Parts: sequence; structure tokens; C-alpha cells
Amino acid sequence: MNAEGQKIVTDTALDGASPARKRPWVSSAARGTLLVLLCQITVLVVLLAAWEFATASSSLSAFLFGSPSAVFGFLVQMVRDGSLVTDTKITGLETLLGFAIGNVLGTMIGLALWYSRFVSRVVQPFVVALGSIPIIALAPICIIWFGTGLASKVAMATLSVVVVALVTAYKGALTVDIDQINMMRTLGASKRHIFAKLIVPASLGDIFAGLKLTVGFALIGAIIGEFMSSSQGLGHAIFKAGSLYIIPKVFAALVVTIALALCLTYVVGKIERLLTPWRNEA
Amino acid sequence: MDGVMPPSRPHQSASGAEDTAPPLVVANLRKMFGEHLDDPNEVIADISFTLGRGEIVSIVGPSGAGKSTLLNLLCGLTPLTAGTVTWHGGVTHGMPKRVGYMLQKDLLLPWRTALRNVTLGLEIHGVPANDQVERGRQLLDMLGLHGFHDYYPSALSGGMRQRVAFARTLANEPEVLLLDEPFAALDFQTKVILESDMARLVRSQRRSLLLITHDVEEAVSLSDRVIVLSHRPARIRAAHDIELDVDRTNMMAARESPHFSEYIRAIWGELEVRARS
Repeated sequence: MNAEGQKIVTDTALDGASPARKRPWVSSAARGTLLVLLCQITVLVVLLAAWEFATASSSLSAFLFGSPSAVFGFLVQMVRDGSLVTDTKITGLETLLGFAIGNVLGTMIGLALWYSRFVSRVVQPFVVALGSIPIIALAPICIIWFGTGLASKVAMATLSVVVVALVTAYKGALTVDIDQINMMRTLGASKRHIFAKLIVPASLGDIFAGLKLTVGFALIGAIIGEFMSSSQGLGHAIFKAGSLYIIPKVFAALVVTIALALCLTYVVGKIERLLTPWRNEA
Repeated sequence: MDGVMPPSRPHQSASGAEDTAPPLVVANLRKMFGEHLDDPNEVIADISFTLGRGEIVSIVGPSGAGKSTLLNLLCGLTPLTAGTVTWHGGVTHGMPKRVGYMLQKDLLLPWRTALRNVTLGLEIHGVPANDQVERGRQLLDMLGLHGFHDYYPSALSGGMRQRVAFARTLANEPEVLLLDEPFAALDFQTKVILESDMARLVRSQRRSLLLITHDVEEAVSLSDRVIVLSHRPARIRAAHDIELDVDRTNMMAARESPHFSEYIRAIWGELEVRARS
């Protein structure tokens, strides 16, 4: 690492005047990122190796804990029989639909509450009450109302997202600088102008923070829905494998679930950077 | 709203009476916060003054004298307790028209580029998009921000951001500018340059300017008149007509004028600046 860094510095020093100032800084930042990544990979490899070793040497029960190689074997099998793709698709669809509906609804209500202080005060205890319900407690009702198919999982995902989205959007709208609102008023802005040109864009930061948070919540909602009653999806795969004591398959489905969550979070982050370009420049 | 800047004139009002009336007359203004009359938190006791057309007036006062409250009262952002505020010859309720307002904080919207920040007021008033852009570009160029039109505020320096905020204030072609410590956060050099630019723009276009500041040198170098407020509850303690025999758009020349330090000393005396506070 060190020798490489040294080399870059000397190279750029010979390069010319202006880039010589910038590149060592960039490369040292990149080096830092690389080092972090390297450590993360090392931790993962060491943990997996310890796990594999422990189960292979029978100091840990392979039946109860599975083993990385067995997990990998099941991953390969899931790819081969196509269940990995279909399960991921189903759970991904449930999560995305719930995520979208919940966030659109929640954000719209949250921002709209800014419009009327009176209504927001009326609504507040109901929001708190709704937010304090453990999402799993709603699963039986969702299944009775929406059936055992896709709709009930989407409903579960939506319910686990909507309150968080509402609260973050409302909080974002409320914390807009009063001086900025006054500035808009002195420019002749009506309440509608202030809402459209100030409150909504100013709340985007909070809304996106809420989006990142609720990706996970939507996934939890979908998986819980699948646990309760389903015939496909990652939650179904985990539940089924668990009931049959096929622990490595549980882990395999879990790995896929984690990968799905990471993918969705990554996409949300990308969209955020695309939609809020002013925050990248500073 | 149809004119293109610069050069531009203040709006010609339809009625002659409004044109001859001074842009702003404040009479016996009083402000108390708090609901109970027996326990008033009186911020402003009694303030009266007139801002004439083309005049630059500064209001200086000790910290906490209610200077910013005064500005909010004039703008109709805060309701007043007693007295009258007359804009352009008529008592206004709520937000006065043709008045621009600017604070120490630039309050630029971070998601808009410099240009789109400047055109914000034009957008609100429904000016066609092409005219918005044209006027915004002219204003930014005029304030020395050529080449920075498409920068986001986060990429601009404090002085540049304050220029953008000033351009935004000017974009609506206000006849009267109300500024609350607009340059307080800037370093001395940037401040003097911006003050000079502002004086040039305001004086050449016969706009009126009311400046609230705690910076006595800024007040004297920039203004035709300096009003000194007392401690809270604020009253007018003194008013000085500033006569410096120099180019009044050059802030350094103003500072070097022989009478400059006399004004400063007199106003400092009236401010009762106490060393222990």
C-alpha cells in the first residue's frame, strides 16, 4: 500500500503543476476507502473460515448451524432449480410495491399536513397510535382482508412504511427555516408558492433519509407477510426450510434477502444523488 | 414587472399622489411582545421617521435594541402594537409592494443555481421564462458574477452568495430596499466592495434604502442619514444628516473624508457602548 502511494505522489509531482496538487489527495482518499474495504473483506473471510472450520471439525453442530460450503451448495441449487430467481422476484415486487405506495402516501400526507397546523394537531395522536402498532400484529388482518396472495404482502409492506414516511416528510416540512419562508413572502409568494418552491424541495433531504430507512421496513413487512401465509417468496423459503430443519437453506435464503436489501438501498441512494444534484457539489 | 434591467426605473404609479409621497413614513411605531398588558415586553417604545425617494437611511442601535424586529414590523411579517407604517402614501396591511428585503443570512435555496435563485421572485410573479433568465443574467453580470450563473450556492463564497441574494432582491425591481445587516458576516474587504456596489446601484436608479446595522462605519459611509436608537425599549435617540464631500459610491473615500470620524465619534457616544457589557 505504502510503496504504491509513494509512487503515485512522485509520479504526479513530475506530471506538471496543477494536477500535482490534487491527485495525491484524491489517491490518499481512495487508498483509505480501499483499506476499509480490504478490512471488511478480511473480517468476512475470517468469520466464514472460522464457521467452516468449526462445523467441519464438529466443534459446532453442522446440523444446527449449517456451514458456509453447505450454504453455498444450496445457493447453487436454488439458482439451478430457478427458485432463487422466482422467490427474489416475488419478494422484490412485494417490497417495491409496498415501498412505493407507502412512501407516496406517507410523504403526500406528511407534506400536506404542513398546510394546516390545525389538521396536523387533530391527526397527531392517530399517527402516533398507528406508528406504535407492531407490524406483525397487523398480519392476520391483512391476510383476512387481502387474501394469501401478493396483495396482503404489499399491504404489510405498505403499512410498515407509511407512518415512517409520513413522520419524516412532516418533520422535514416543519423544520424549514422561518427566515426562508419570510424571504419568500417578501418576494410576494403565496402559501401555494411557498409550498411548491420551498417546503417540498427543502424536505427532500428528510424524505430521502426516510426512503433509505423504509427500504428495510418494506422488506420486513413483505417477509412477515410471507411468513404468515404464502406459497412463494424469500420469506416463504426461509420459513419452509426452517420448519424442515434445513438450516443451510435458511442461511442461503437469508443471504439472498440481504443481497436484495443492499441492491434496493443502493438504487435509492443512486436516485437520491440523481434528484438532488446540489448536495453533491459542496 | 415588464421592464428589463439595467438600466431601469422604479415603477411609475398610476396616481400622482403616490408618486410624490415618500416611499415610507413611520409614525409612533410601538411593539410589545407577550399577551398581558400588565406585563409587557416592550421592544419598541416610539419610533417615527421618513424615508424619502432616493434616500439612504441607516438605523443603528445597541445590540438587542429591536432593530430586526423593526424591520419585520415594516415588512408586515410581524403585527405592530401601535402606530402606523405608510408605504407609498397608503397604509398597507400585510406585505408591502415594491419592497425588497434582505438579511444577514443569504437564504439562498440550495437546490437552485445562482441564476434560478435570482429569478425566484420573477417566477412567483409569473414573468415569462425567457425574460426571467435574461434579467437574472443581467443582474448577476452587473454584480460581478459573470460565469457563476449555473453554480449552486454551496459552491460559492460568502461574498458571492450575498451578491446573489442582493441580485434576487433587485430582480423584483423594488423601489425600497430594506436590509438587515446584509454584510455583517463578510470580511472587511468584501464588505466595502459590496457596499460600494450597492451604493452605486441604489443611487444611480434612485431607489430608496433602509439599512439596519450595528456597524457605525458602514452606516456613516453609506447613508444620507443615520438614525440612532436607544436601548430597549427602542426610541430614536438622535438623527444625523451625513454630509461627506466625496463620491458617495466610494466607501473608502467616504472613510477618508475629514468629517467621517466626527460622525463616528458622535454616534458612538450616543450608543452608550458600555465596556462591561
